[in-house]
Amino acid sequence: MSQSNDNNPLIALSDAMAEAVAKAGAATLLVDARRRLPASGIALSADTLLTADHVIERDDDLGVMLPDGSQLTASVAGRDSGSDLALLRVKGATLAPAEPAPQPARVGQLVLALGRPTPEGIQASQGVVSAIGGPVRTGRGGLLENYIRTDAIPYPGFSGGPLIDAAGRVLGVNTSGLARGMALTIPAGLAWQVAAALAEHGSVRRGYLGVRSQPVDLPPTQKQALGRDQNTGLLLVGIEDDGPAAQAGLLVGDILVGIAGQPVSDPDELLARLVGALVGQPTPVEVLRGGQRITITVKIGERK
Amino acid sequence: MDRKTNFAATLNDALADEMSALVERVQRSLVVVRVGKHGVGAGVIWRRDGLIVTNQHVAGHHSLFGRAHLQVTLADGRDFPARLLAQDPEIDLALLQIDDQDSPAAQIADSRAVRVGQLILAVGHPWGQLGFVTAGVVSGLSQAQTRGPRGSVDIIRSDVSLAPGNSGGPLVNAGGGVIGINTMIVGGDLGVAIPTQVINSFVEGVLGDLTLPARRSRVETEKLV
Repeated sequence: MSQSNDNNPLIALSDAMAEAVAKAGAATLLVDARRRLPASGIALSADTLLTADHVIERDDDLGVMLPDGSQLTASVAGRDSGSDLALLRVKGATLAPAEPAPQPARVGQLVLALGRPTPEGIQASQGVVSAIGGPVRTGRGGLLENYIRTDAIPYPGFSGGPLIDAAGRVLGVNTSGLARGMALTIPAGLAWQVAAALAEHGSVRRGYLGVRSQPVDLPPTQKQALGRDQNTGLLLVGIEDDGPAAQAGLLVGDILVGIAGQPVSDPDELLARLVGALVGQPTPVEVLRGGQRITITVKIGERK
Repeated sequence: MDRKTNFAATLNDALADEMSALVERVQRSLVVVRVGKHGVGAGVIWRRDGLIVTNQHVAGHHSLFGRAHLQVTLADGRDFPARLLAQDPEIDLALLQIDDQDSPAAQIADSRAVRVGQLILAVGHPWGQLGFVTAGVVSGLSQAQTRGPRGSVDIIRSDVSLAPGNSGGPLVNAGGGVIGINTMIVGGDLGVAIPTQVINSFVEGVLGDLTLPARRSRVETEKLV
């Protein structure tokens, strides 16, 4: 037909977008785990998939439908309501894993949101990355270091499905369950990290220091002692008896400026750092005390 | 500018050029359908001999007003009185005939080749703004329930924003080929189009009935005087 014009960039773009949907659509699954309309999921490996935690309303009898229409039963491998992600396992399945994008999403980038809430086939909507936001507390004890907003229409049942780039690579996981129904996208880097933690522990472990703190500006002398360009730290205003911080010898009046080799300049940053592998581990905590920078090793507790 | 930026700028220009050329082509075969003093709907010139496809709900009320009130305006400004050849409320299609043997017919694409995610444009007259263009992608390929003997019909869903006045206008692919006619038969926030495959069999059915008057059809066909 006359439409197969190789030199027409519009047709090339259109073909590429349909190709991207076909590629990522092969890894986009139907997840039937709630009473109303099923939601979507993303295949991570041959037998695991990632979906939104809020679409999982029951623990057994979870249905997963593959693009070819075959129906399988899944079990919950782990859930994290803080990031609204859940990892499901489908025994003996040979799912086609999605490919995460090598770079984080950029504002203005062309994107497609995918979902498979019905057996009728893949669904898509198109838009651009409108903003990268964060950090934001999710109201479920979690903190999203960053999130993606787009103007692609979030159709019903798109939660748990992928946001993809024009090459069909996953930029993030779409959900309307984190911010009072507002659709946002959890970046792929973070989602894959959470998935790895869920695969290992069944939950995301969140650390606990046992301190109360407030952010303070660092005076010039303190900044000099620190020796790097950091303007704020966390003044410790309370130390819980017998907590990890008390046991390690942190004092009221110390200014916490770093943990595990990373700077900490506000409470959200501390919350974000206190996640994952360092939980239960002796971890260097950097504080300013009496104008001196000192490092104290704290065995991070686990927040229940 | 480095080479990559240069290429991107060239590509953007090329995309913009193709887009405006495509819109211009599509708008040539887009018509305004007016019924009496009611608002405007859209229609597509399906064949050079003056056959026009639109929505039943756009053209179908014409019998209440009498034949003279069904009027079609082409993109070049020419006005024609139109005859309603046939209508099928179940799939919201109507076929009109104007007295013009050299109408700028649309390029009709094969809707069976449509893929989810492909780029599309909708052109119509939303809220009376003539030739208004919106862009998006094919959101899904599915079926809609209908009230009639068919029971259901194939539909193309899209994420383009549609409004009253888009009804009867074309949904076109990146090459300018019509893949469907936008309609409002199904609610919800998704745009819905009847694929060209369905339209072609409707049109062929009507024309077949007109040449074989003895055959009865599901399609409600008006007698030609």
